[in-house]
Order: sequence, then structure tokens, then C-alpha cells
Amino acid sequence: MSLNLLPTPGPAAAPPSSARRLAVPPRRRGVGGTVTALVVIALLVAAHAWGWKTTEFSLPQLAAGWQGMVGFLSDAFPMDLDWESVVLPGLQACGVTLAIGLMGTTLSIPSSLLLAVLGSRATSRNPIVYQVARAIMSFFRAVPDIVFALIFVTAVGLGPFAGVLALILHNTGVMAKLWSEAMEEMDQGPVQALRVAGASSAQITTHVVIPSVIPQFTGLLLYRFDVNVRSSLVLGLVGAGGIGFLINQSISLFKFDQMMTYILMVLVLVIVVDVLSGMIRKRLNA
Amino acid sequence: MSLATPTTPRLSGPTQGNDAATALAITGLRKTYGERTVLDGVNLEVKAGELIALLGANGSGKSTVLKCVVGLADIDGGAVEVAGHRVDGHAGRKHHDAAMVFQQIHLVKRSTVLENVCSGALGRLPYSRSWSRSAFPKELREEAMACLDRVGLADRAHDRAGSLSGGQQQRVAIARALCQRAPVLLADEPVSALDPAAAEQVMELLRSLADDDHMAVAAVLHQPDLARRWADRAVGLIRGQLSFSCPPTELTEQMLGELYAPDRG
Ligand SMILES: Nc1ncnc2c1ncn2[C@@H]1O[C@H](COP(=O)(O)OP(=O)(O)OP(=O)(O)O)[C@@H](O)[C@H]1O
Ligand SMILES: [Mg+2]
Repeated sequence: MSLNLLPTPGPAAAPPSSARRLAVPPRRRGVGGTVTALVVIALLVAAHAWGWKTTEFSLPQLAAGWQGMVGFLSDAFPMDLDWESVVLPGLQACGVTLAIGLMGTTLSIPSSLLLAVLGSRATSRNPIVYQVARAIMSFFRAVPDIVFALIFVTAVGLGPFAGVLALILHNTGVMAKLWSEAMEEMDQGPVQALRVAGASSAQITTHVVIPSVIPQFTGLLLYRFDVNVRSSLVLGLVGAGGIGFLINQSISLFKFDQMMTYILMVLVLVIVVDVLSGMIRKRLNA
Repeated sequence: MSLATPTTPRLSGPTQGNDAATALAITGLRKTYGERTVLDGVNLEVKAGELIALLGANGSGKSTVLKCVVGLADIDGGAVEVAGHRVDGHAGRKHHDAAMVFQQIHLVKRSTVLENVCSGALGRLPYSRSWSRSAFPKELREEAMACLDRVGLADRAHDRAGSLSGGQQQRVAIARALCQRAPVLLADEPVSALDPAAAEQVMELLRSLADDDHMAVAAVLHQPDLARRWADRAVGLIRGQLSFSCPPTELTEQMLGELYAPDRG
């Protein structure tokens, strides 16, 4: 490597009055880079062409369906705001949805914590335990909560309890992964310091790792609560109770004006939960 | 507080007689990382009550020596004895006769000062007395308070460690090391991140741990001046080999010039 610190002579040289300049050396760009870029672009185009065909994506069909959409909307408005038969049950169902999200999140804390500690390089030193914990996490994460809900609906019957159980399982997989990564990202200095003092891995977990990551854990927990409330809406659609169940019902009865009211409620619920958890997380990070 | 000893930097050599017990003995220590030999036959003895300064350029292997002693790094050759016990040379083994403090201090910032000091004792506590902070025995908390008092910070016991200044945090780290009850204290650049006044305070504390508590203290320093004023002996390391070991008053500009000579290798 050679550094040319002398100003380039000739017309390019800066006039003596202004700040000193130095010619930017040309950046070497190989042919390899261009070829790679072209291949990547070609692959992306091919993938999307395949996707377009597979999903039968069709603008004419959308235009043809326009009539139906307009008919649907004219049925949906004005919304049905009858207190006794629509609004009150809707509010109660929103409460159920919120409760499913809350219970599903909170009750998955112990299992998430256990899996996270066993499945994080920061705290787990036995490779077999680590791999098993990671595998369990991946399994619960890979199976969507709606699949768990369908299973539990057949096991414990229609209703919010099935939704809570489904959320606990799926959320355990996701939160354990997020938490274990938060622990892996923490500063290893204090861990080393206590290892020198002869502390065991279990002691280091309780006295260094967990206290250090409490803010990250809480932030992720709130984020998961936010997501789980929205998931519990969808779980309602398959019979796990709550406002999702009412929306499903009103669609199958062609009561689109009721459905519109429920959707508006969902919108408010989701925004409120989102804003509140966002506010708390912001305060935690500050 | 307990830093009451007047600020009298020592200018003479060691006061301990030759009969003082050797607390740390390193003989022929070798350490390699892959192809690179980082330590090549290092010999070093530190007696109880002695404060030595380990000097050397960046990358000369100072931190590696300390890591080999406390078991943060494996030993590839030679022997390390701490308080008469042979260190077996495998990282992660169980001995905690040597305590260590770091330039980056490494306290648990969100925990209180007292909790941090208590954690120095984890190595001798069964899990039943340490599964949570609330399980710590009362005697441990009181011992930790005494350690804090030793470094002059007893009044900050319940503050968050992260709320203290850098110099205060380093003294808390030393209190944590004291709570470990180790006869040997290793300090890797304990004052490099501190302002001059805080650095003086920490050096004074290390001096008094050697003088009053008869600990063997080895501190990596980047300021030869601090070594001159506080240490009993200065030890120089060049590319993993010992280049000198002498009373700091005998340090010459030529020795330092060679120690910190640029662009070698
Ligand atoms: N984990 C490691 N893997 C590979 N090489 C390492 C590792 N740790 C240290 N080294 C190398 O060993 C040599 C000595 O490092 P060491 O940290 O002991 O130096 P030092 O004297 O403490 O330097 P400094 O003054 O910068 O702290 C360096 O060249 C470094 O690159
Ligand atoms: Mg170092």
C-alpha cells in the first residue's frame, strides 16, 4: 500500500488560496461484480415471473370483481351501531381478544425463560442441551399459532381457552429465540469477570446475564404482547372466541354492516395496544 | 474514609524482605494462538505484599499473561502457581485464588454497588445460597460492606453501579475482587480509562492492598511514571518475552525506548 501525500501537479491542482485537495484514486471494480449483479437480477425476475403465474395474479379479474366490491361496501354502510345487539357484544369480545393476548403472553414467560437460558450461547455450556433447546424453540416457532388453535379447539372445545393455549405454545418458541439472542448480544465483560471469581454458569446467569438484559426482555415482551393481541383476532376466526369470532359470524350471516362495526373496533384496539406498548418501550430504552 | 493513608508515593524499592512468601510464580509460560507465539517463556514471581507494574507496548502479551493466570486462556507450556496451587492450564477450571480487575471495569451496571461486590464471593457459595441475590447470607453482605468501606465507597452501597464515575466503578471492581478473598490481585490497565486524580486514587488503593493486606498485586500500566511512583518492581515485556525486571527507580529512558520502539515485527 502506498500513500501519495503530494498534491497532483498540473491543472487539477488546487489554487493556493483554497483548501488542499487530493485526487481520489480510481476504485477498482472487477468484471466479476457486474456479472454477479446481472445474475442476481435475472434470478429475481425469474422468481417473480414464476410467482405471478403460480398465484394466478390477474388485473382483469380484479377489474371484473370491482362490481362485487362496490356491492359489498354498499351493504357495509351505514354501519350497524345498535348498542344492544352489536356494539356491546363487540366491546365484550374485544375484551376477550385482549385477554387471550394477555394470558397467552404472560403464561409463556416461564417456558420462554427456561428455553432461552438453555438455548443461548451466553448461558448454556452443554452443547447437547443447547441443541435440544434450539430444536424445541424452532418447532414451536415453525408451527403457526392458528394450527395450534385448530388442534386445541378440537381438544378443549371452541372458546378463548383454546386460543390462550395456542398462543402460549407459539409465543414460547418466538420469545425464547428473541430472548436468547438478546442474551448473546450482551457485553461479555462482566461474565468474564465473574468467571474469574469462580462463579458457575448458573450463578452467572442469575447474577449477571438476567439483570443485564431486563430492559431488552421487557421490550421484547411488550412487542410480543402487541403481536399476540393481533394474533388472537385471527385465532377468533377459527373459533377461539373474541372479536375475530364475531367478525367470522357476521360474514357468514352476510351482515356486512355489523362486520364493519367490528372491524372499526379492531382497528381502535390494535392502534391503542400498539401505541401503548410503543410508548412503554420507548421509556424503557431512554 | 479508609483511604486515610497519606498520599506518599513510594520512591524506594521493595520493603518486603526476601523471605516474604511467593504468591504468584510463573515459570517458562508459553502461549500460542494458532501459528503465533504470543508468550515465549515468561518467568515472573510476585511476593505477598509486593506491587509490580507490567509494562509493554500494545500487543506485547501483557493481558495474555494475566488471562493465563486466572484461567481465561489456556496455557500451552510452562507452569503457573497461585498461592502454592498449580494452575492446570485449562480455561474454565475451578480455582479462584487470583482476582482480576479490568480496564473496562466490567461491573453489572444495572445492579447495585453492594450486589456487585457480593458477586465476588460466588465461587465459594453453593447454589442454594446464591440462586438469587436475596439468598446471599447476611455475613456475606456485611463482608461486602467492609470491602466497600476499604475502597472508600460504603456510602454508595445501594446506588446503581452504572451511576458511579469511572474511578468509583473501578474501586467497586477492586472491592468485588477483595470479596473474592484472593491473595493475588491482577489488574489489567486499571487506570487507563481514568482521569489523573482518579488514577492516583486507584493506584494508592492498590499500593495499600499490598502494604496493609499483604496481597500480591500485578498491574498492567501504560504510564511508566505511575510505575516509578507506586510499584516495587517494573517488569517489561517485549513480543512475549521478558526484557527487564528491576526496581522502577532503575528504569532508564533507553529501556523504555526499546520497550515502546515503533514498527517492530
Ligand atoms: N483470543 C485471541 N486470539 C488470537 N490472538 C490473540 C487473542 N488474544 C490476544 N491475541 C494476540 O496476542 C497478542 C498479545 O495480546 P495481548 O492482549 O496480551 O496484548 P497486550 O500487551 O495486552 O496489548 P494492549 O496493550 O493492547 O492491551 C496480540 O498480538 C493479539 O493479537
Ligand atoms: Mg491488554
